[in-house]
Amino acid sequence: MNENEPFIGIDLGTTNSVVATVIDGVPRVIASRTGQTLTPSVVALAKNGKRLVGHMAKRQAITNAENTVYAAKRLIGRRWGSPEVEDARKVLPYELVPGPEGNDIRAMLGGRTFAIPEISALVLAELKADAEAFFGRRVTKAVITVPAYFNDGQRQGTKDAGRIAGLEVVRIINEPTSAALAYGFGKQMEKKVAVIDLGGGTFDVSILDVGKSVYDVIAVGGDTYLGGEDFDRRVIDWLVFSFAQEHQGIDLRQDKMAMQRLRDAAERAKIELSETSQAAIHLPFLASGSEGKAAVHLDRQLTREKLEELTQDLVDKTIQVADRTLRDAGVRVGQIGEVLLVGGMTRMPRVQQAVRQHFGREPSRGVHPEEVVALGAAIQAHALLHPQKGKEVLLLDVTPQNLGILVVGGYFSTVIPRNTTVPTSQSHLFTTVQDNQTSVRIAVLQGGSDKAVENELLGEFVLDGLRSSRRGEVEIEVNFDISADGIVGVSARDSATGARQSITVTATSGLTEAEMRRILEENMDEMLTRRQVGDFERLRDRTRAVIAEIDGLSPRVKEALAKSRFGKDAVVKAEDVVGRARAAIEARDLQQMIAVEEQLDRALQLFKGLAGGAAPGPKDPA
Amino acid sequence: MRERIVDPANARGLHSGGRLTAGRSPGEGGVKADRYQGFLFNPADLSEDVDLEVDRRREILYLAASMDGWTHWQALGLPWNASASEARDAYREKAKVFHPDRFQGRRLGAFRPRLERIFRRLTEARDALSDEASRAAYARKTAPPEEVARSAARSIENDVRARERRARLARTNPMVSRAARVQELMERGRKAREEERFGDAARDFLTASAMDPTLVEARSLAEDAKKRVGAGKARDLWEKARTAELQHDLDRAQLHAEAASDAEPGEPRYVVYVARLALLRGALETARGRAEAAVRAAPSLATAHEILGEVLAAQGESGPARKALERALELDDGLDGALQCLRKLRWSFLR
Repeated sequence: MNENEPFIGIDLGTTNSVVATVIDGVPRVIASRTGQTLTPSVVALAKNGKRLVGHMAKRQAITNAENTVYAAKRLIGRRWGSPEVEDARKVLPYELVPGPEGNDIRAMLGGRTFAIPEISALVLAELKADAEAFFGRRVTKAVITVPAYFNDGQRQGTKDAGRIAGLEVVRIINEPTSAALAYGFGKQMEKKVAVIDLGGGTFDVSILDVGKSVYDVIAVGGDTYLGGEDFDRRVIDWLVFSFAQEHQGIDLRQDKMAMQRLRDAAERAKIELSETSQAAIHLPFLASGSEGKAAVHLDRQLTREKLEELTQDLVDKTIQVADRTLRDAGVRVGQIGEVLLVGGMTRMPRVQQAVRQHFGREPSRGVHPEEVVALGAAIQAHALLHPQKGKEVLLLDVTPQNLGILVVGGYFSTVIPRNTTVPTSQSHLFTTVQDNQTSVRIAVLQGGSDKAVENELLGEFVLDGLRSSRRGEVEIEVNFDISADGIVGVSARDSATGARQSITVTATSGLTEAEMRRILEENMDEMLTRRQVGDFERLRDRTRAVIAEIDGLSPRVKEALAKSRFGKDAVVKAEDVVGRARAAIEARDLQQMIAVEEQLDRALQLFKGLAGGAAPGPKDPA
Repeated sequence: MRERIVDPANARGLHSGGRLTAGRSPGEGGVKADRYQGFLFNPADLSEDVDLEVDRRREILYLAASMDGWTHWQALGLPWNASASEARDAYREKAKVFHPDRFQGRRLGAFRPRLERIFRRLTEARDALSDEASRAAYARKTAPPEEVARSAARSIENDVRARERRARLARTNPMVSRAARVQELMERGRKAREEERFGDAARDFLTASAMDPTLVEARSLAEDAKKRVGAGKARDLWEKARTAELQHDLDRAQLHAEAASDAEPGEPRYVVYVARLALLRGALETARGRAEAAVRAAPSLATAHEILGEVLAAQGESGPARKALERALELDDGLDGALQCLRKLRWSFLR
C-alpha cells in the first residue's frame, strides 16, 4: 500500500454532506472547489439534460422542483410500500416509482429512473472530485458515515452508492461514534460519553465508554425518520394552513414551485431563530390570486416561542429515545461524563435546553457541529489505512437492532440481539420438516418487534440442493454474521457432511449484482465523456492562449520579415499550423488539437525569436 | 450464552487434536515455547503466505485453538474473580491487538477467521464479566475448590459476627432493643404454641402485637391462640356436661353445655348438644331455638337437622319435621335417631 495514498472521510448527510481528511496527523475539512465546506445533498437533472449536484442543484430547485432530488438519505435502502416511503411520496416534489423487482425505490428524473444509491453516488462523486482537486490526484479510499440506527439495507445501499461513485468504501461507521472520535481526538478521555446526533433527517443516540483510545459503544438508539426536515415540515404546514385561512382556501400544496420556496424559507427561518427571537418570512408573489385577481404574497412573523410550540413533540421524542438508550446501556444519567451534541438541529436552543435538563449537565458542542462527523470518519480512515504505533484508536461499535429469522406462526426469533459488539456471528441449526425435502427458505429480519411483519425484511434466502433424506435427518447450520460495517452476511453448511450449502437471495431492498454492473458501466461512460470534455476544455484554453500570443507577435514578425530575406517559409508553415489549430477548436476535435499542440508551441518559439530579433524591447518575453 | 466451565488448572494445557507435529523448529529456539504450554503448531499454518510475523501467528493459532476452553477471566488474561472494571480494561487492551481492524489491508488468509474468533471470544468474556450480577454468578460457578472452602468458612464467620453485632445493637439502641423484645416475644409465643400452652402463646402474641401494631403476623397468631384457648375450655366444659348427663343431672348438664357453647361460639356441635339436652328436659321452645340456630350456623351439619326434626316432631309439626329429618339423612344416612323418628312420622299408626 502506498504510504501517501490519499484517503477521505465522508459524512453523507440528509441535507448536507461534508468531506474531510487527515494531513500531517491533523484532521481537516476539505472545502469544495467553490470554497464551501458543506455541500447540499441535492441532485438535479437540468432542463438541458445535465446532472447538477450540490449548490448548483439546490439553487435551481425552485424552478425545477420535479427534477430535483433532496433528502435521498431518507429513502436509501428502504422498501417500496413501507410507511416511511408512502409518507415521503406525499411531500416530495419528485416522483418515486418501484424498482423492477418491486422491492426498492426509484426516483423519476427527466423520464429516466434512478436508483436511490445512484442519486447518493452523484453526491459522493462530487465530494470525491472536490477531494481530488484538493490533493491534485486520484482519491479512491473512503470511510462513509451512516446513522447508528441504520439497518442492514440502508448500510448496504450507502456502500453501493460509494461503489457507484468509484470509491473503495473501507468502512461504514456510525455518525455518533464518528463524532465522539473527532471530539476525543488528541484528548486523553476516560469516561462515559453520550452522543446526541440530531441531523437533517435522522436522530441517533449512542452511549460510549471511552478509554485508552478505545471507543467502546455500549448502546445505540434512534429514529431514522426524525430530523431537521421534520422541524421544517411543521413550519411549512403552519404556513400553508394559515395562508389558506387568510386567502380563502388557496392550497399551496398543489403548487410545487411554491412549496419549494416555502421549504427554503422555513429552513432559513428555523436557522435564524436559533440566534434571534423572531424571523420574518417574506415570499412575494407566492401564488396567483383566484379568478384573475392579483398575485398574493406571504408575509409572516415566526417567533421562537411559536417554533418551539410547533415542534415540542419532536423534542420530547428525542429525549424519550435518549432515556431508553441509557436504560439499554445500563448507565445512569449521573455516570455520564460528557454529553456531546452533533448535527445542525442541535443548534436549536430548545433542543439544547431539553438535553441539559435531562442529563443535568452542560452539553459540549464543537464549533461546527455539522463538520465533526466527517472529521471522525477521516480519523477512522487514517487509523485503518495508516496504523501508527502508539497512536492506535479503535472503534468498537454495536449492532443497532435485533437480527433474527421468521419462525412458524409469523414470529420473530432473535439470533443476534441489538447492542452486540460487531463484528460478531452466531450459528443457528435448521432441520428439514418433510421427507426428501431439498430446500429450506429462511427469511432474515431486523427490528424490535416479536411479530415478524413489524420488522424489516432484509432478505429471503433459499438453501437448496439438500441431501435427500428422511425429515429431521438433514441439519443445516446457518451462520449469521455482522461485519464491522454493520452489514449482515449469511452462510450455511450441512452440519453432518460439512459441505457448504448454496444460498440464493430472493428478495432485498437493494440493487441486484447485475444492475450494479450496469450502473457501473454506464457511469464509466459518463465519467469518460466527462473526463474527455474536461481534457478538451483545458487544451482548448491553452491552445487559444498560444494562438493569441502568436497573433500578438504577428505585426512585429511581419516587420522583421520585411527587413530580412530569411524565414518566410517557416512563417508560412507556422501560420498554417495556427489555422489548423483554429479549425480543431471549431470542430471540437480533441485528437487534432493534440496533434497540432507541439507544432503550435514550435511556431510560438519561432515567432518569439523573429519578433525579438526585430525589435528587442522591454516587453521581450523571458 | 454458552457456559464454559472447566477445571482452570487444566484449561491452559488444552491441545487441539488432529495431525500436528512439533512446531518448534531448531532455528527459532525454544525461548517462547513455554508461553504456549507445549502447544503443537502445524508447520503448514506457520508457513502460510500471509502478512503476519511468526510470533503473532503462534499467538493467534494458540489462542484460536485454546480460548474456547478457558474461563472468561482466562480469555482476558486475568486471575479468577477479577473485577468488572479490570475485565473492561483488559478487553480494551486485547481488542487493540486482536481486532480485525488492526490488520486492515494485510493478507491474512486462514488467519482472518481465527482473528475473528478470538475477538468474538474476548467480547463474549467482556459481556459476561462487565455486568456485576452475571459476573458474580459466573464466579460462583467457576470457583476453584480451595476458593469454595474459603468462602464457606467466611460465610460462617460472617453469620457469627452478624449475630454478635445485632446483640450489641440491641443493648444500646432503644429502637433496636424494642424490635429485639418483640422478636423475643414472638419466638416465646411460637414455642408455647408448639407445646400447646395456648394461653401463654396468646398472651405473648398480644403483647408483641401491642408493642408493634404493624406486625400483622403477631395479631393473627394471637387471634388463633385465643381461639384455641376457648376450644380447650369448651371441651372441658363439654366433658363435665356429659358426666352430668350420665348422672341424669340434666339441669347441671344443660348449664355446662351452655357454658361450653359460650366458650367456643363458632362451634355448632355444642349448640346441637344444648338443644338435645333441652329436648330431653322437655324445654321444647329452648330446644327449638337452639336447633334452629345450629342449622343456621352449620347448614351442612347432619346432626343439626336431626335435632331440629326431632324437636319439630315433638311439637307435632310433622311436615317441617319430616323435611328436616330427610335433609339430615341426606347429609348422613347413618343417623339412627333421625331414621327412627322419620319412620315414626311416616307410619304414625305404629304409635
